[in-house]
Amino acid sequence: MRPFTPLLTVSCAPHVHCGRTTRSMMLETLVVLIPTVILAVINYGLPALRVMALAGASAVAVEALCARIMERENETDDLHGLLTGLLLAFLLPASAPWWLVVAGSAACIILGKAIFGGIGGSPLCAPCVGWAVLSISWPELMDTELTLLSANFAAPLHQLKHFGFMAVEDMPLLDALLGRQIGGLGAVQVLPLLLAGLWLMIRGHIKPLIPVGFFLGVILASLCFHLPGPDEYAPPLFHLVTGGTVLAAFFLATDNGSSPVFPIGVLLYGLLAGVMLILIRVWGVYPDGAPFAVLLANLAAPLLDRIRPHPFGTRKEAA
Amino acid sequence: MIKMWKEFSKGLWKELPPFRLVLGLCPVLAVTKTADGGLGMGLAVVFVLTLSNLLVSLVRKIVPPKVRIACYIVIAASLVVAVELLMQAFAYTLYQKLGIFVSLIVVNCIILGRAEAFASKNPPHLSVADGLGMGLGFTLSLTFLGALREIFGYGTLFGVPVMGTSFKPFSFMIEAPGAFVCLGMLLGAMNYFTNLQRRRKGLAPRGNPAHECGSCGLCQGGK
Repeated sequence: MRPFTPLLTVSCAPHVHCGRTTRSMMLETLVVLIPTVILAVINYGLPALRVMALAGASAVAVEALCARIMERENETDDLHGLLTGLLLAFLLPASAPWWLVVAGSAACIILGKAIFGGIGGSPLCAPCVGWAVLSISWPELMDTELTLLSANFAAPLHQLKHFGFMAVEDMPLLDALLGRQIGGLGAVQVLPLLLAGLWLMIRGHIKPLIPVGFFLGVILASLCFHLPGPDEYAPPLFHLVTGGTVLAAFFLATDNGSSPVFPIGVLLYGLLAGVMLILIRVWGVYPDGAPFAVLLANLAAPLLDRIRPHPFGTRKEAA
Repeated sequence: MIKMWKEFSKGLWKELPPFRLVLGLCPVLAVTKTADGGLGMGLAVVFVLTLSNLLVSLVRKIVPPKVRIACYIVIAASLVVAVELLMQAFAYTLYQKLGIFVSLIVVNCIILGRAEAFASKNPPHLSVADGLGMGLGFTLSLTFLGALREIFGYGTLFGVPVMGTSFKPFSFMIEAPGAFVCLGMLLGAMNYFTNLQRRRKGLAPRGNPAHECGSCGLCQGGK
């Protein structure tokens, strides 16, 4: 008997697509992050590589475990778990002990992804969740200045916080761009992150308005402080090249599941995150609050999504 | 007697107040930083809940329906003041630890909920059994949650170190977000075990509540 071959195949809506998959997007993001990884290893040595490898591996392992417990399909091969682990490692100090890294990865995947139903379901950016849990629990181990005393780099944000802008005025810009500053091990490699972010923006993997709004927010908010008090508060350029600003703008805030969809909302979201970043740096207790700024903006995303274009062909409702 | 046991035992698992009915969450989140805080709060609730159920049940036929809520509040408030005075007299450190949350038992949903849903419709002996069961379930839940948070957050249980010297306290658990995360995880675990039991009996596991389009309102449900 001949096998039954249907004449017409019936399937769900998108019938033509460009071939872009989650896996290919994540893979491209990982590839463009390779220069950052290399520079991090050059600046911080092998401990940095250890933290990154451990974070990536444990994130994937925890994700597979969650899929097993929740009886879902194991989707670790879409590489999102690996990227989440790597981005978390970028926020950690290179001296982080192994259990801190594993706990952070587990918090990222469980609290930031798995319990919301996997990729795209989380209202919060997963690496930021892990970072927040760690820095609330073990602040003494997450304090990059305290744990990296042996490194002979400057700690611009800590000095800015404690001694005002005068203390860091003569810090060379190139040092900051090439990651010769103390902070999260990948977050401070500003130049390769900037190039990688621009590449993703050109390729259309991230919404360009988010980094634009983010930088605009940082510039405007820091000008508000810098113009009246130039000795005490840092100028916009300093805030852009120190700490995790670039990482947050291009890689954390642009997480597709937790950022708004429509243009005006996206711009406001970026602005909000950028302004929050400066407010945390100036008034908060944390020297660099980039992940907290992103988390706060994430919480506003559902509200910002209510600002949306008028549907085509419908009448405006009478108010 | 069997009926009394039935009313008593339903509060222990089937209608466990904070985890099944999800009532009285304010103290559940606020006072469970340590196990003894949870236990003390739970015992205060047992006292108030049992007596308020008894009194409400006794007066259920003479109170006009229009003013019943006010009557329940008066009864609960008098009992709470009694508990507060007793605590100040005999357990002052615990009183200081629980602070405002002792007085807030008055407006705890469980007290009003049991008065309205059970005691106002049932005879006194059943109401007392119900109050005792619910209170005990509440106490056990609070103590369990408190113990969990204390073990991970401080490395101690009822003030006794249990995690060894190399343990670095996981302070997230004793902060406010840790309370929410912990409660959510416990609810998830309870549902997981319920489904495991159902599967063992050959029943279909209970699914997640269906998300109806109306609950979000972003797109007016396709209208």
